[in-house]
Amino acid sequence: MKKIKRCSILRILLVSIFIISLLGIGYPQTTKKIVLKLGMWPEDTLVSDVEMFKKWKQKFEAKYPNVEVVPATYKYSPDTFVPLAEAGRLPTIFETWFTEPQKLISQGFVKDITNELKKKGWDKYMNPSVKAILSKNGRIYGIPRDAYALGLYINLDLFRKAGLINPDGTPKYPKTWTELANIAKIIKEKTGRAGFCLLAKDNAGGWHFTQIAWDFGAKFEIQKDGKWYANLNSPEVVAAMNFIKDLRWKYDVLTDDPTSENWGTGFEVIGTGRAAMYLGAQDSVNQPTQVYGLPPDKLAIVPVPRGPKGQYSLMGGTPYMFSNKATSEEVMAALNFLEIMGKAPVVTEDSIAGMKEDAQNRVKNGVPVIPSFPAWINKDYLEAQEKILNEYRNVDMRFFNDYYNWLKKPGVLRPEEPVLTQDLYAELTKVLQAVVTDRNADVKKLLDTANKNFQELLDAIVNK
Amino acid sequence: MKRNIVGWLIMLPTLILFSFYVWEPLIESIILSFFNAQGMRLKEFVGLANYKFIFNHPDFKSAFLNTFSYTFWSLIIGFLVPIIMAILINELIRFKGFSRVSLYLPSVIPGLAVALMWTFIYKPSETGLLNIILGKFGISPQPWLTNPKWTIPLIVIMMTWRSAGATMLIYLAGLQNINPELYEASVIDGANILHRIRYITIPQIYNLARSLLVLQIIAVFQVLYEPLVMTNGGPNNASLSLMQLMYRYAFERFDYPKAASVSVFIGLMLVLITVLYNTFVKEKDM
Repeated sequence: MKKIKRCSILRILLVSIFIISLLGIGYPQTTKKIVLKLGMWPEDTLVSDVEMFKKWKQKFEAKYPNVEVVPATYKYSPDTFVPLAEAGRLPTIFETWFTEPQKLISQGFVKDITNELKKKGWDKYMNPSVKAILSKNGRIYGIPRDAYALGLYINLDLFRKAGLINPDGTPKYPKTWTELANIAKIIKEKTGRAGFCLLAKDNAGGWHFTQIAWDFGAKFEIQKDGKWYANLNSPEVVAAMNFIKDLRWKYDVLTDDPTSENWGTGFEVIGTGRAAMYLGAQDSVNQPTQVYGLPPDKLAIVPVPRGPKGQYSLMGGTPYMFSNKATSEEVMAALNFLEIMGKAPVVTEDSIAGMKEDAQNRVKNGVPVIPSFPAWINKDYLEAQEKILNEYRNVDMRFFNDYYNWLKKPGVLRPEEPVLTQDLYAELTKVLQAVVTDRNADVKKLLDTANKNFQELLDAIVNK
Repeated sequence: MKRNIVGWLIMLPTLILFSFYVWEPLIESIILSFFNAQGMRLKEFVGLANYKFIFNHPDFKSAFLNTFSYTFWSLIIGFLVPIIMAILINELIRFKGFSRVSLYLPSVIPGLAVALMWTFIYKPSETGLLNIILGKFGISPQPWLTNPKWTIPLIVIMMTWRSAGATMLIYLAGLQNINPELYEASVIDGANILHRIRYITIPQIYNLARSLLVLQIIAVFQVLYEPLVMTNGGPNNASLSLMQLMYRYAFERFDYPKAASVSVFIGLMLVLITVLYNTFVKEKDM
């Protein structure tokens, strides 16, 4: 009995192996397709976005019949990324955050796509400061979806209620940080809402603070004789931190609890009218509007106020990166797909159609159609983009022009501090938390400690 | 012999699961802590370098002290609460079932929801629930979690609210196992309720309380999501725990070996505390 059973199992196994191997012989020549897993495929809940992607998929598969596009929605998050990457299950192409490329590159999770980009000729078109964020040792590992540069988001409703509107309808926005404090105070008095949203929950707090402190003349990291030195307790940083302290205790214009505000709640605060001003960049313009329901005509983005020592805009980018398991053909397919989406630095019929669909979709969802920050520098692409933006414009550009004109001035854009950036932000965030929760906080002493801590990290990791 | 085999067979699935989900990762994690790695792939043996790094990191000292502070406050605030609750319910004649269920109810709510709910209660502005209540008595809004001196005790109060009910059930079961004749005899001898608690109840649940104390220390020592959600370790590291430090190494920096070193260190500390406690308490027993 047992023997018979074993025999039959063996037979079934043999037969199935035979069938499988037969299939295998025929497979590669005829039906093997390149599989392109799209990580940036929108979530099911974003119905109109999904529709748009379906259209692009159809068009793409008609044009490249040897490629199969597979939706593989992946929203980058540090706690899911490593297991996914280690298991080889990353989508071919995915979006990540501006803070991540260097970390992902050094851990070997993403593919070097220099050769593919050269084949396309796109490497020449990339904005050099964006390219630097995405490269290591001269090799390029990603391409920008778009870049961003911080400005000041303004909730026009609150400005109107506080009587801070010019006769022509534009807001009386603050030109200097001192003015910001005064305007914020007027808003608080007239509307009861916070004037300014300061972040102090996580590293985004330190990130925004570097932007503010640069305007006070701060330089957080100094390189001398090949070594890096922390400079977190310079008089300029102390001045900037004292300004924050004043915003909290002297003017009292911040939201209820800055230690619970992070990047996302900042946009919620602006979108729902809990605060009137917030540091944000043009690439997040869907956050207060589409996500938190602010009508597009109630929003303005203006230049970051000027400090005593300058007026800078912190810039970075949102990149597409590629799984280290992806083959060269798969990367090429992904790049071709970006062309159809209109996110590639080329002007073709397809890419123009892609850009138009994107703009239409924004109009439909109440997201301001405003210029993206140029991640690519080839002229024909920028001109085509501008033409489409003009065609689909759904906001009054006077609420945005000052910001864009300011960004074009030389020396305004400033990339993030170069080394151990997240650790720098973490140290600064701790000081921010102490300053906004303790009326008697000793700013100099706190910054001395932060400086000492950060120097220890620099010595242990960078200067060794 | 044969009987042994059956026993082993019954235990086998558990043993396999245990070795796969507990022992193997534990050993891997110890090995990982001596290497540097790309992602989770080991690169080279670095000896104690990871440990040296984490001990020298500016955040380590606060995380270490805070973790003890959590444990200390949880013993001060949280240890006696379930015992008292159990004794009170045990003495109840009416509403016993109702009280049991209502005190256990917080344990049913998902932990994250509890943490979020208490952030609203503790909110430092006029819109915080506690501050609204205080406002009715004319008291100005308090900073609650944003006062670094209060952060840990307040988080511990929340943790106690959430988990005391579950521990209370264990004590209650222990109390109900006490032979009622003991109480009857004591009543005949003229003992009042305090005497009964002092001479019968407490000695009878003493061993149970001892085990639960160790379990509580082990659990609180690993506190993670409460501060992660409520304060993100702040303000200025006032509520950062060792587990959150580990979380940061693993999920913010992708530096798994250093995360492993922190977790191995936590494990060693717990072993140490348990051994110390047991020897100390045993000596006292004798």
